[in-house]
Amino acid sequence: MIFKLANPLRFQRLIEKIEPITLNIAITLLLVGLFFCFFGSPPDYLQGETVRIMYIHVPCAWFSLMIYSIIALCSIFSIVFKHTLADLISRSCAPIGACFTLATLLTGSIWGKPTWGTWWVWDARLTSELVLLIIYLGLIIINNAYEDKSKADRYSSILAIIGIINLPIIKWSVDWWSTLHQPASISKFSSPSIDPSMLLPLFIMTFSFFFFFISILLVRVRGEIIQRKIEVIRFNRMV
Amino acid sequence: MKLDFFKLVKREIRIMLKNFSIIYSFSTFFVIASLIFVFSVNDISYVKIFYKSIVWIVLIFSIMLVSENFLNEDFNDGSLKELQFLGFSEESIMVSKSIAMWVMIMIPMLFLIPLVFVFFQITLYELISLVINLFLATPSLTLISILSSLFSVQLKRNKIIQFVIILPFFVPMIIFTTSTETLFESYNLKENQFLILIGIFFITLPVCLMAGRLIMREINK
Repeated sequence: MIFKLANPLRFQRLIEKIEPITLNIAITLLLVGLFFCFFGSPPDYLQGETVRIMYIHVPCAWFSLMIYSIIALCSIFSIVFKHTLADLISRSCAPIGACFTLATLLTGSIWGKPTWGTWWVWDARLTSELVLLIIYLGLIIINNAYEDKSKADRYSSILAIIGIINLPIIKWSVDWWSTLHQPASISKFSSPSIDPSMLLPLFIMTFSFFFFFISILLVRVRGEIIQRKIEVIRFNRMV
Repeated sequence: MKLDFFKLVKREIRIMLKNFSIIYSFSTFFVIASLIFVFSVNDISYVKIFYKSIVWIVLIFSIMLVSENFLNEDFNDGSLKELQFLGFSEESIMVSKSIAMWVMIMIPMLFLIPLVFVFFQITLYELISLVINLFLATPSLTLISILSSLFSVQLKRNKIIQFVIILPFFVPMIIFTTSTETLFESYNLKENQFLILIGIFFITLPVCLMAGRLIMREINK
């Protein structure tokens, strides 16, 4: 099934069917989620209204890590099987991941000013997230630096695999070092330290962001497939 | 094969000795760039606080500038391809280049460090600590810079990309080398302060060798 879909042309046809559906789901969930964020959830007893930034910040942070994991997985797949679709997906994911990481850092800063009293601290979690942003930028630069796209894909795959080291550092930085950033409060499903009235909008926003990511990814992958088709046509004309 | 590897290291060291200007320019750059920092502040006490950061930043930039020479010539004259054709593994080529670079550039640099002692007016204990720091961290630094030059060997223009790609990987190195003492003092592990640098090397070595192997194969396609 996977290998059948791995054909770029077949995948392009699938994208054309799926993409409008995912975008509609994303917009609907976003509207519902925003309603719950602003009207359906209470302000925090300590942080007040600023807690609402969490509904954007936390999903963005999760997706910044998830997207990098997808890139790394596609990179391994690309190096082992040398499949074009894996290259296309990782190439398309890099700018989206960079945007999510940037959004994480920006919303974190906006939240940090009233809560911690500063826009930025050189905390292990914040620093490792910043390193992730720089790695994303490095991937984007490599993707555009080489004239030969297959070479660029291979090099960016190697860089992405090296960058995997940063993922566990980001995840467990709050446990390994004494940081200003609070430890995980949502992943502990046995005893979540967040109220259900806040958990619901957070999950709605997370699903909304997920579908938004999928739809943007599909659009970008389709764009990449079309661009490569154009390049093949141009090359054939030259020959 | 063991003998062949030593031949390879010998070859790299001979090339380095022939291009002695690289060692000379590296050393000169290191001293001048360190001095620039001293000139740029009015109060020397600031330099005494930041001497480790200054030394490390200057070292990273100088080593990245030098590392380019290690692979570009071999790539341009076809020796890199030839070595692989002769049966040397990509790992052995990379390790031999790293050893040559470490022996010919990093070790002489350690002899320049006492100059820092004079310029930055640091104590003897701080100087010894810095030398041990550099001695243990430079193998990882060398491997990463060789990897960075492998990334950019086929780039005809915009060598700045080399820096952008690889600089994030220097971040943990910088953090642990410049703050090992304070970090481990707070955890009451002062005697183990340098073990983390050895630990970083054992993570860097397999990662760089694996990535280097993949890049070298890609270069010669």
